[in-house]
Amino acid sequence: MVWGFAILNYVWWIAIASGGTFISALFYLTRSEWRSSINRIAESMTLFGAACAGIYPILHLGRPWLFYWLFPYPATMHTWPQFRSPLLWDFFAILTYVSASILFWYLGLLPDLATMRDRAQTRGSRIIYGSLAMGFRGSSAQWRHYQATYAVLAAIMAPLVCSVHSIVGLDFAGAATVGWHSTQFPPFFIFGAFLSGFATVLLLVIPLRRLLRLERYITGRHLDVLCRLMLTSSLFVGYAYIMDAFQAFYGSDRAELVEFTEKVWGYYSGIYWCTIVFNVLLPQLLWFRGIRMRQLVVLLISLGIVFGMWCERFTIVVVSLHRPRLPSSWGVYHATVWDWLTLAGTVGLFFTGILLVVRFLPVISMFELREQVAPRRSAP
Amino acid sequence: MSGLFVAFATPHELETALPSLRCARLGTIETFTPTPVESGPSILPVLILAGGVLGALAGFTLQSYANVAAYPIDIGGRPYFSWPAFVPIAFENGVLAAILTGFFGYFIVNRLPRLYDPIDECEAMRRAMRDFWCVAIRTDNPARARQILRAHAPARIEELPA
Repeated sequence: MVWGFAILNYVWWIAIASGGTFISALFYLTRSEWRSSINRIAESMTLFGAACAGIYPILHLGRPWLFYWLFPYPATMHTWPQFRSPLLWDFFAILTYVSASILFWYLGLLPDLATMRDRAQTRGSRIIYGSLAMGFRGSSAQWRHYQATYAVLAAIMAPLVCSVHSIVGLDFAGAATVGWHSTQFPPFFIFGAFLSGFATVLLLVIPLRRLLRLERYITGRHLDVLCRLMLTSSLFVGYAYIMDAFQAFYGSDRAELVEFTEKVWGYYSGIYWCTIVFNVLLPQLLWFRGIRMRQLVVLLISLGIVFGMWCERFTIVVVSLHRPRLPSSWGVYHATVWDWLTLAGTVGLFFTGILLVVRFLPVISMFELREQVAPRRSAP
Repeated sequence: MSGLFVAFATPHELETALPSLRCARLGTIETFTPTPVESGPSILPVLILAGGVLGALAGFTLQSYANVAAYPIDIGGRPYFSWPAFVPIAFENGVLAAILTGFFGYFIVNRLPRLYDPIDECEAMRRAMRDFWCVAIRTDNPARARQILRAHAPARIEELPA
């Protein structure tokens, strides 16, 4: 099997990363005020999720020190990359997405860094926050350009995140492999990104608001909205699973049918049914308001979805390669201990990053909340 | 030219004081506020659009040059100039260029980073990104400015550093 843990964990992480961009960019454009108290956490999640995702394709290359071969540069061998390949599109998509997420996150942080600079008590923190704030002083021109730039960048980030996940889907759909070669893959991957993104935001927000006593800012309404979004994306994903089955039976390709029955009843069927249970059936509990208000239950459902999404990625990547067209290539894949340890390492990297952000930066966008609170307080 | 640095406790107070200060034609007036008070036009969206379009065109041109002229590869007899396949990377390049333009353009247009500015000497400036809505008035006639401000009851009035 040519693809295994490296690719499935890459796809899993990049989908987790998407949640931040959906919340900060998409809901900025719809002028949803509620996003202000969770967008910093969500964007930080994007940043470190994308970093974890970015590691995998490079490791997957086998010779990671040669990854720059993907980049178009005037090589001494006079060769150029093959630009018609979705795998190369993916390199550019991830490059753009990681850079854009970092810059968008930093720009959104700028006014808060200025506040941190002005509140800093020690000389060291004054120097660090002062340098990071770059001299942002809240002058009228700085705010005027800030609002325009932020709005336009948000408007660009929203289609960017959709393009990134479409291209991840095309990595699979572009190959003539059974189970992958399907036109539904780009939207299917966007749905999956929605689902795991919202689930991970909830997974971070629920403990953080309890531990940092942010209940006044991240209210039950925020959790309720996120739960509804998670339920909606779960329905989308469920639709995609139905279409997956439909296409296997509606098409006349026998190999597709073999692959599908293997997926549902074969060696890896446990993982497939975990996907269905955790991504589609379990989230249906969120129809009930009583469940949405119970933080522990929501936390468990979100955890289930994050696990279910991992199972989905496993099924997509592994089962297709387990039953390809040529019976001589049929095989069984098991992850090695190093695969598992690398996965644990990325989880550690993710939480290290999130905890550093929580420790050193405001986890809630202070200036956006100020914007909402100030007019109410000073209204005549 | 001397001036005054005036701080208000709420955005509403600043907003009511600004028109009368402007009407008096005292000199240049600049606000320093923790939240955006007034919106206005900005050149940056145009710059971002230009950056994005140029980035996308550059990406498309590079791909066409590489796969048509510099290093043509025959993939199943498809045309060398198979332009639809070049669109995704051109799009990503356009987005990257637009975001880089927006980010760096923002700092260039505002002449940042500027870690020190004489205005930082004002005591109330320490709270301009926290809970003071401030205005710096550069004028030859500070007495007139003080007279106008009396009606608006600002929280602080300071002399601007020369």
